[in-house]
Amino acid sequence: MQNKVSRGTLLGFLGPAVLGLALVGIAPLLYALWTSLHFFNLTKLKKIEFIGLENYWTVLTDGVFWQAMGRTFFLLGTALPLQIALGLGIALLLHQPGLTLLKTLARLSLVLPMATTYAVVGLLGQVMFNQKFGVMNQLLGGADINWIGDPQNAFAMIIFWDVWQWTPFVALVLLAGLTMVPGEVEEAARLETKSWWVILRHVQLPFLLPGLTAVLILRTADTLKLFDMVFTLTRGGPGAATEFISLMIQRVGFRAFDQGLASAQAVILLIITIILARIYIRVFYKEV
Amino acid sequence: MKLRKLLCTSAIAGIVATGALAESHGWSLKDAAAPYAGTTVDVVFLLRPGYEAIEAMLPAFEEETGIKVNVIKHPYENALGEQVRDFVAGGDLDIALIDLVWIGNFAENEWIVPVDQIKADYPEIIDPDLDMDDFFPLVLNAFGGWNDTIYGLPFDNYSGLMFYNRCMLEEAGFDGPPETWEELKDTYGPALTKDGKYAFALQSKRNETQSADSFARVLWPFGGSFLNDEFRSNLNSEESQAGLKFRQDLMQYMPDGIVAYDHAETVNGFAQGDVAMITEWSAFYSTVVSPDTSAVADCVEIAPEPKGPAGRKPALGGFSLAVAEQADDDEKAAAWLFIQWATSKANAGEYLERGGVPARQSAYADESLAETYKFVPALVESWQDGVPEFRPRFAEWPEITEIVQEWGTKMMLGEVSTEEGAQEIGTRMEEVLEAAGYYDGEKPLAQ
Repeated sequence: MQNKVSRGTLLGFLGPAVLGLALVGIAPLLYALWTSLHFFNLTKLKKIEFIGLENYWTVLTDGVFWQAMGRTFFLLGTALPLQIALGLGIALLLHQPGLTLLKTLARLSLVLPMATTYAVVGLLGQVMFNQKFGVMNQLLGGADINWIGDPQNAFAMIIFWDVWQWTPFVALVLLAGLTMVPGEVEEAARLETKSWWVILRHVQLPFLLPGLTAVLILRTADTLKLFDMVFTLTRGGPGAATEFISLMIQRVGFRAFDQGLASAQAVILLIITIILARIYIRVFYKEV
Repeated sequence: MKLRKLLCTSAIAGIVATGALAESHGWSLKDAAAPYAGTTVDVVFLLRPGYEAIEAMLPAFEEETGIKVNVIKHPYENALGEQVRDFVAGGDLDIALIDLVWIGNFAENEWIVPVDQIKADYPEIIDPDLDMDDFFPLVLNAFGGWNDTIYGLPFDNYSGLMFYNRCMLEEAGFDGPPETWEELKDTYGPALTKDGKYAFALQSKRNETQSADSFARVLWPFGGSFLNDEFRSNLNSEESQAGLKFRQDLMQYMPDGIVAYDHAETVNGFAQGDVAMITEWSAFYSTVVSPDTSAVADCVEIAPEPKGPAGRKPALGGFSLAVAEQADDDEKAAAWLFIQWATSKANAGEYLERGGVPARQSAYADESLAETYKFVPALVESWQDGVPEFRPRFAEWPEITEIVQEWGTKMMLGEVSTEEGAQEIGTRMEEVLEAAGYYDGEKPLAQ
């Protein structure tokens, strides 16, 4: 017997969601595209004019934009491998048999960093990494490290907070992947070898790949739009040491009020994100 | 107890003064506001002492007039963006809070109403004792004026002052503050920088603090400026470079990471006794002399900023309040009544008592005030010598300040030389000015 769902029912269920997505996602995107093709400065609205691709040309030839992009990818390239390595370690530990209560508590505590508002993480960072009174220098034996005012240290601090906040997410996703491994397959593998690496590589990894791909896509997108934490912690400084691409776009759009240029930057960022997501899916994603 | 007594006396004096004037002119705030009772006006305030002072006084105004003032608080860094978005979207703000560098922007976009327009449209609500001449002329013109038109009345008023820790200076053998910047660096710097303490801190965080408090502060006293007469960059002139190089040299006597210091860190460093001298806005006086917020309250003394080869040229900053064009007729009238009241001669004394800094000359006429408020003589002197264009006030400043902030900080970090940084700022600044039409005659050279 075939259950046929009428078009009306389908539209009734899907229509609101599609309409909602169009309103909150596609309409602003189209508006951003329109803005990016115009000279559009909030403080000079009388001068709005169509300028074609000039904003895009300005962005593509602007060294400051590419420096910010390079900085963002450097953050991604340093923080993400750390998150994956630590997250995988935590997931494998939690996947071990026994100690059920402790593992449940550990899982719950993993949620806390993720549940902390980004902006609050930045404010906490300001206090904890204060050179004179911060707990971090106290933990380092009363060290006198200038975290916020030194370009390299400030960058390291951002990496630290990003890893702190998002390693649990990676751990939970990978743990979910590990639970997908059929028990009898894993048990059989353990009878064949005592090497955890062989089991990980040949038995568990195929089940981790879909989650890992999701982690790569989500964390890449998150890093490219990382804003709140850095804004409250360093505001992109000192100098431009922590001015990542999202902070730059916000600065251009909402502090210099050049919405046209900022929109062009945002569109280029979106294109880069889509390309990366496609690459991740093509290279890493495999159905088990 | 003493403060309460003083406040009561001021309040009574204010009421008596207002009453006496009302009687002599046949005008009273209550009568003038009667048609607008029940109106609500929206205004942006900052999280600073001058705003807390007027907020504490607000109930009296609301009770007298029936006008409700809805205060929306923002940190300084958000205030411009919030207001621009509100005005662009035709929002709810009825009063514009205008930093002196925003005035050109607000005026050219016609977001604010000239005072003369208010006077013409609402003659019945103009206080006969408004006395515009009583405002310090420099302050009125710089904070509230654009192209010879007054839009706003000075409300939260600053001048850069030198705050120094008398106890630390005496311990190091000095009987007073440095008279010149060179003296500060060459004599006071080495003597006061030791054992984890620093001679000086110059707030230099990458935001408006970098361009206003740090970069501009070393330009003017050394004879430099942002622009020359032709509106071209003057940052690579001998004088401007002397000032910028001086700042680099002075950094050895400042705390590490000074480029991450905003006002809060700088004032706290001074208030905790870690820094002997700072050049800060007069608005922070109440913070450093209060035992609740300062460990060195008894040692705090105030002097004008040091002189450079070109003179004192202290930092000038502050805000005015103006009626927003987008307000409806009743809101405009109510907004004006609030602005007029908040900046009035009659209330200047109480505003001062509560931690604000009025721009009324009459408020400082009593010489004995200097005993209670140590900052008064230096402030009054600074407002005689100030530079209205300390930061250019034209509409393009929001774009230019971002450039100055970025490259000014890079200079301080040693990532670029002062010449390279000045060249970069100059080039980018001229691009902004060219796009705005200053070089093809489309716009007059505003300052």
